[in-house]
Amino acid sequence: MKKDEEFMPRILAFLCNWCSYAGADLAGTSRLKYPPSILPIRVMCSSRVDPLFIVKAYLGGIDGVLLAGCHPGDCHYEKGNYYTRRRFALIKKIFEELDMEADRLLLSWISASEGPKYAKVATEFTEKIKKLGENPAKNKIFL
Amino acid sequence: MNKPTGAVISAKSSTKKSIIDFLEKAMDKGVFDAVIVPMRVPAGDSFAYVLIKDKSLFKDAFPIPPVMFVQGAKAVSSVTRLGKGNMKIAALMRPCEIRATIELAKLGQTDLENMTLISMDCPGVLPTSDFLSDPEKGMKQFDEAAKNLDDKIMRPVCQICDKSSMMAGDLHIGTLGAKKDTFFVISNSQKGNDILDKLGISLKDNIDSWHAKVKNISEEKLKKRKKAHKDLKSEIGGLDNLLDAYNQCINCHNCMRVCPVCYCRLCYFDSDNVKHPSEDYLQMAESKGSIRFLPDTIFFQMGRMMHMSLSCVSCGACEDACPVSIPVAQIFSMISDETQGLFDYVSGRSLEEPLPLVAYKEEELHEMEDAND
Repeated sequence: MKKDEEFMPRILAFLCNWCSYAGADLAGTSRLKYPPSILPIRVMCSSRVDPLFIVKAYLGGIDGVLLAGCHPGDCHYEKGNYYTRRRFALIKKIFEELDMEADRLLLSWISASEGPKYAKVATEFTEKIKKLGENPAKNKIFL
Repeated sequence: MNKPTGAVISAKSSTKKSIIDFLEKAMDKGVFDAVIVPMRVPAGDSFAYVLIKDKSLFKDAFPIPPVMFVQGAKAVSSVTRLGKGNMKIAALMRPCEIRATIELAKLGQTDLENMTLISMDCPGVLPTSDFLSDPEKGMKQFDEAAKNLDDKIMRPVCQICDKSSMMAGDLHIGTLGAKKDTFFVISNSQKGNDILDKLGISLKDNIDSWHAKVKNISEEKLKKRKKAHKDLKSEIGGLDNLLDAYNQCINCHNCMRVCPVCYCRLCYFDSDNVKHPSEDYLQMAESKGSIRFLPDTIFFQMGRMMHMSLSCVSCGACEDACPVSIPVAQIFSMISDETQGLFDYVSGRSLEEPLPLVAYKEEELHEMEDAND
């Protein structure tokens, strides 16, 4: 990356099919503005995301990971997002314990009607990652 | 279950002999049909778990051997993985092995209905390599250290184990705080009560001295454990330090293979999911400049933390199996204390406690969510 170029993070977003992906879609069709940093991956439920996906992404050099699902109580599969929350807590704790910038991971609840919220989360998270800078794992050879 | 109750048993010759007599008597009365217990191999330089059906072989049984070649939970799981069978089996193991067995039961890898788990106060385990360098010396050293409650020669995770007398199974044999030539038999479940009832052992004796001694040791060890974890955290914290810690890893996956709770028949890290066509590697090498082979060292280690730390019992088998002496078990014990603490869970504490990732509460962990929510 050239020095004069502004750092634009690459953020992986796991979006659940029923709420958050539709929320992101709504943000698009509503022509809301948010940074082009998000790389969305649609999953059928946020609880589909194995912790390994997030570790792999981080070690592969992604600057941030957003995990988004339906609000608690609104899960299409009734309780998937409760499991997600526990799993995310586990992932985050391990990152914290290893002192590995747990701030690069974010769990957010975004419903299908919350286009503006999606845009807001995307913008704020991108800003936060910009402050953190590049993922140090990006240039580590001996991973 | 109220506070566990126990009985004082007098040991005629050695404690070891009396424990074996106890098992033999139980088999005579038909309480057990077979017993899983460690036995010294003929050459004398190793110990193996055996399923004893013939009582005459009890003379070679060796409760609480100085080393742990195979984690006992793996032995129990091999016997009962495909169902409980119609034999009543007792297993005499260390507390961490019992706890791993309970974790495996929750993971559907063993059926405990016809099993009786008997734990014993554990003085620790010698590192395998230390023992193998001179087995006879190791035996003596271990006996001496066990007598003096000295853990300096034990596995590093044993030195910081605050659960060395934890009762998780049905029965517990306590030697701490017992008067000379006696030991305690303590029941921890209805199954345990029934068995002692059949053997004519009444649970009316005072076992306060055992409780007091155990409490004392656990508290002391817990302090040591917290300090050790704090020191370790400052040593391996941060990606660079973590890489340094695992630099010598040769990707043999021994730590995973000996782990009692790593039960998957095909590990993700042995599957085709982590094998890529050469173009992919070239692309990775291009974006980073170069990549290491064998790949995925840290990915494997962190993956195991994610998948298994909630069930880790800190037995230290992984560290013993590591050919390049990476302190895997110490790192795992540090991580697992934190992750289990997150859900107020202790691996192997009770069969009734669900695994944290298959349970949930509607209101919890809000600090993990986005502050905007």
